[in-house]
Amino acid sequence: MSSIISGRVTIKFGDDINTDYIIPAYLLQEAWDKKFFADYAFERYSPTFVKTCRSNPDKDNVVLAGKNFGCGSSREQAVYAIQYNDVRAVVAESFPDIFFRNSINNGFCVVRVVSTSEFDLGDKLEIDLSNLVVRKADGTCEAKIMMNEEERDLLFSGGRLGQIKERLRKRLSATI
Amino acid sequence: MLDLGGQTIVEKIVSRAVGKKVNAGELVGVLPIDKLYFNEVIGPPAIANFKDDFDPIFGEVSEKKKRMIPRKVFDPTRVCFIPDHTVPSCSVMVAKGINLMKSFANDQGIRMYKEGDGIEHTVVTEEGFVRPGEICVATDSHTDTVGAIGALGFGIGTTEAEYALAMGEIYDFFVPESYKFEINGDFKQGSCAKDLILHILGTLKEGGCSKHVAEYSGDTIRKMGMDGRFTICNMSVEMSARTAIVNPDQITFDFMEDIVRRHGELGAELEQSMRKVNLTRSDGNAEYSAMMRIEAGTIDPQVALPHSPANVKPASEMNDEVNVVFIGSCTNARHTDLLEAARILKGRRVSKNVNLIVIPASRLVYNWAMSEGILKIFADAGANIESSNCGPCFGKHMGVLSPGDRCVSTSNRNYRGRMGSPDAFIYLASPATAAATAIEGKIVDPRRYYN
Ligand code: SF4
Repeated sequence: MSSIISGRVTIKFGDDINTDYIIPAYLLQEAWDKKFFADYAFERYSPTFVKTCRSNPDKDNVVLAGKNFGCGSSREQAVYAIQYNDVRAVVAESFPDIFFRNSINNGFCVVRVVSTSEFDLGDKLEIDLSNLVVRKADGTCEAKIMMNEEERDLLFSGGRLGQIKERLRKRLSATI
Repeated sequence: MLDLGGQTIVEKIVSRAVGKKVNAGELVGVLPIDKLYFNEVIGPPAIANFKDDFDPIFGEVSEKKKRMIPRKVFDPTRVCFIPDHTVPSCSVMVAKGINLMKSFANDQGIRMYKEGDGIEHTVVTEEGFVRPGEICVATDSHTDTVGAIGALGFGIGTTEAEYALAMGEIYDFFVPESYKFEINGDFKQGSCAKDLILHILGTLKEGGCSKHVAEYSGDTIRKMGMDGRFTICNMSVEMSARTAIVNPDQITFDFMEDIVRRHGELGAELEQSMRKVNLTRSDGNAEYSAMMRIEAGTIDPQVALPHSPANVKPASEMNDEVNVVFIGSCTNARHTDLLEAARILKGRRVSKNVNLIVIPASRLVYNWAMSEGILKIFADAGANIESSNCGPCFGKHMGVLSPGDRCVSTSNRNYRGRMGSPDAFIYLASPATAAATAIEGKIVDPRRYYN
């Protein structure tokens, strides 16, 4: 993943968007393929989500949200549902732990800033992971990203899988 | 010897696991886990990914060592599989997923529970799979339920579960701060643990406990039975708590001893793990980053209105009509829950406008309720009684809601669309309030049925 992710805010949500809204439970068991869930993202909460994302010719959607984005269940399908709709990042004021970890584990860029009120639909944003800031591409405003180094490194490396494989390889090699 | 002074139970459990004293806010690179369990929602994709991602590594190392290293999970005795969300299977894909779990479990020597054995969070505690003082992760956000026995439980997603299955670890774990809830005094007649947690949710709202572990203490909790503790811990995730916990005490020991009695063969091992329990309690001088005091005697029966568990009002202020009542779920379908509902329904009939669905949380609870005549009370009242599983709480079978339906549920989430149509209305309440509502066809304060 490059250190600057740029995209346009095409979706805006308020506070407390829960995972049931992102992907309803009845679908969770119906596929093991991550891409399946994209077609149903926000089906019952914001039925225009999929169309809006897919009609963006640049495929560089950024979702803007308030506090507590992704609360509720631990279903990782919520991450896939958003990720596979050409969404490059979610910028929100906070994320519950499970959703945040699920996203980072999949190399999906979720960033927390103190306030998203300076940003709006249509804004072109640059999410600069090296300097940990989100800025408008026209340079008019900036917000600091709250993220620790471990999380950032994981995002850069596209998730944790590589690291786990190495640990498993070591453990197995150590067995007699 | 570890220096274990001035710590919360959470800090102590994590310190024990990593072999050195750690405090809230510290980053633990690798956190070993004691137990891991899967349901049939996340189990199948996690198993499929486990095979795809790790088979090549087992193959590669086998080749290097010039002998077969069999594909194995980190420790099959510390993993179990529980098909519980939509069983008996409600679709072809669900059935396929359960079969994948069965064959993998068989292959690896993992314990696989049967359809109908119960909802995972209930099964793992009443079967003694998770014990006080342990760290346990599972593919479901209501893993916080195990906090009721003094275990540290975290819900995780597919990827983390797949890694945990291979390694028995989770990574980059921040030791969470704790939010202490001190609850004192006796409940009013007709109020219970569910009303308490709804009251707390109504006060703190959906994000109110985020990044924190909710630790429940005070004499109300000390006197409360295990069932109430399970309810309170279960719903803590609704205010975004990392997890929830209650310090183990005599009631916890009695609960564990009962398990030992039921499972002779588990006995010796369980007793040993219980000896650890005394050590794992918060110190009097532990630090909390937030604290709330509550008088149990001030809490009236509560109801969470659509579409948020934090949208709470006293039941006495409502009289909304409903046409579905669900008494079940990992929140409120254990012994005392069913007993409370049955006391109200005994000798009465469910309103002709209401479909009452009753689902005991586990086979153990189901069989107990049958032998005690409790299921007969529900049946005589006109209820539909289903075998143990999540039922309509998951919104996929056994009572999916249509547009316009109004449902009172004893479960934990009433998000729009949670139980079916996004145009249905879900209210959350205690088993007593749900039972009284089923009789009257509208939401009522259950206290009129106590005298
Ligand atoms: S009963 Fe409901 S909340 Fe509990 S595990 Fe099942 S689906 Fe989840």
